[in-house]
Amino acid sequence: MPRTLLCTSLLTLSVLAGTVLAEPAPYPACAACHGQNGQGNPDLNAPVLAGLDAGYLIRQLNYYRQGVRGDHEMDPHGQQMATLAKSLLNDQTDLQALAAYIQSLPVPAVQPVEGDLRRGNSYYQNNCGACHGGKGEGNAAFDAPRLAGQHPDYLKRQFLHFKQGIRGQHPKDKPGRRMAMMANTLPEETLDDVIAFISQQP
Amino acid sequence: MSKGKLLALVLIVAAFFAGRYFFATGPVQMTDSRGGASYGGNQEATADGERRSGSLVRGIHMAPMTGQVHEVRAGEKIMDTVKLAQSGDTIHVYPGTYSETVYIDKDNIRLVGIIEEGQRATLDGKGHLNDAILYSGNDIVVENFLITKYKGNAIMGQAGNNFEIRNNIIVDTGVYGIFPQLGKNGIVTHNVISGIEDAAIYVGMSDNIHVAHNHVFDSVAGIEIENSRHAIVENNFVTNNTGGILAFITPGLPVKTTYDVIIRNNFIVGNNHKNFAAPGSTVAGIPPGTGILIMAADEVVVEGNIISDNKTAGIIITDHNNAPNTTIDPESDPAPDKVAILDNLMSNNGYDSIDEVKALMLTEFKTGKVDIVRVGVSRDSCIINRHQYVTVGVDKWAECGFTHTGDVLTYLLDEPVPPREIDPAEAGKVAYLGICAGCHTYTGRMIGPPVQVIQALYMDDPQGLADYIANPVKKRDDYPQMPPQDYLDPATRLAVAEYMLSVTK
Repeated sequence: MPRTLLCTSLLTLSVLAGTVLAEPAPYPACAACHGQNGQGNPDLNAPVLAGLDAGYLIRQLNYYRQGVRGDHEMDPHGQQMATLAKSLLNDQTDLQALAAYIQSLPVPAVQPVEGDLRRGNSYYQNNCGACHGGKGEGNAAFDAPRLAGQHPDYLKRQFLHFKQGIRGQHPKDKPGRRMAMMANTLPEETLDDVIAFISQQP
Repeated sequence: MSKGKLLALVLIVAAFFAGRYFFATGPVQMTDSRGGASYGGNQEATADGERRSGSLVRGIHMAPMTGQVHEVRAGEKIMDTVKLAQSGDTIHVYPGTYSETVYIDKDNIRLVGIIEEGQRATLDGKGHLNDAILYSGNDIVVENFLITKYKGNAIMGQAGNNFEIRNNIIVDTGVYGIFPQLGKNGIVTHNVISGIEDAAIYVGMSDNIHVAHNHVFDSVAGIEIENSRHAIVENNFVTNNTGGILAFITPGLPVKTTYDVIIRNNFIVGNNHKNFAAPGSTVAGIPPGTGILIMAADEVVVEGNIISDNKTAGIIITDHNNAPNTTIDPESDPAPDKVAILDNLMSNNGYDSIDEVKALMLTEFKTGKVDIVRVGVSRDSCIINRHQYVTVGVDKWAECGFTHTGDVLTYLLDEPVPPREIDPAEAGKVAYLGICAGCHTYTGRMIGPPVQVIQALYMDDPQGLADYIANPVKKRDDYPQMPPQDYLDPATRLAVAEYMLSVTK
């Protein structure tokens, strides 16, 4: 019995330590844009998926399928993703398995961008860190995704989408509506410094 | 031993214990030293002329208490007696250990610890209780306690005027030691406070305050005057904190100014403690080795202090733009204006300063152990005898038009101010100002998350917020857990939640 317990513990530990799960069926279609390891592709405007919280991934995939996200005429990349989500996913797709797999992929290193890191840190900690965590690690308790390791261009585009009412307006997207409120609190001239700060987080 | 001697011995022993028992249960004779007769001095002293006069700043409520005196003894709950007490009553708490939170929501109560042969009434939070003594009433006196092992505050005032907090020993009580918030006309004297992860004494959004004769050490911030006006900080012993004495405007609080603060005749020595504040909080940005830090506050006069052995600098004057972990509040002027540095004894400061200070010194081709650092905008500030100090950023300051603060004995008022009248329709607002704003600013991270974030999280759910504050749970690894505000009744909790979701600055 203790041995079984030990094995279970070791198994748990190996999962916690970041063992990548087996690739589920729909993932190769995702990989076409988001990369074999979920590392994203800035040339295709496809964000990093690896390491994002499964709950966040499932929510966004459902939003795309249901027209909650990617429905705005000013968001062509989101429209692409919505089209793909509607065609590739259906009610029988095991979103749990897909999201758990993506979450288990190791977060890739992002190329840091330059900026005033002290100002970036101040505004990040004051405006963003309460939900997204002090190091941009995300916090599922607030439905706040990981930001560290994400492409800076994607972060900036999404931030501006929230601020400009392109994302985070749908009544069903409560976390998005929260973020839209917060996007209006960050002075826009500090945005590049905040993104620079995030890009420097491990 | 004869029977007679034995009997005598037994009687003596019996009398001793009977006496102890008798004295232990009888009321103690308390002498009020805040007023009454003064020591007159030896006659000879006035042989060659009149002595100078000047009164001690010791008390606000000099009228005798007319109400009942209640006694609380070990094994009883202080709070049970507070509930019974009427305005005007005095509560004597005898030595013993009391593990509870005392909340005084009525006016004119004196809560007095009785000290017997060095033994104090001890409030012990045992590492799990949040607050020791909270008061929202006016004319409250809290004295002579030993308070330890709470997670939040030792003594917090919530919008009470005319307070006296004195003679308390506070050891390791979490975020704030003594914290009068939104009070007018109050004193904090003769307290010994240590081991606080934010400020040992934090005067927040208050007016006409006197902080004197305290010993504060081993804390992140020793004494903090924040978003407050007309305050004197004098004769304190401030040592081995991360930063000694702070005069701040914290951006994002409902009160937007700090001005008219006199910091004089304090010992500000060796404030080099490692910064152990929650990372990302405002005070986490204080460099260890800071004697006095003036951030954005105006009309701060620094006189007669002994400022020594603070390794980063003796005095740092900064605007919001150059302060770490700080954002800009459009409603607050970020510059510390009209700062006056008068004569102080400064020695051996800045012996191991931070890179930012060294870089500033290079711009003025200076080296050595720096006493005074000014960074960012500061208008109309002045200094006297600048040649005595190693300075950076103050060469162009004017010579001050005054040399001392002797004409200002105190900013306390002659008569207690009237109790704060609370319109029932404003209960939410008062609770927000008096309680929430102690840890939450509108725009930034102080102790808890910014109000803007809370507004986003609970945008259309004030009841959810009201429920949360009664029974908070930890959701953020890098923030302290919020203390429950369940001493507020449900209607007040909902009112304050609705108010918090509606504020705009």
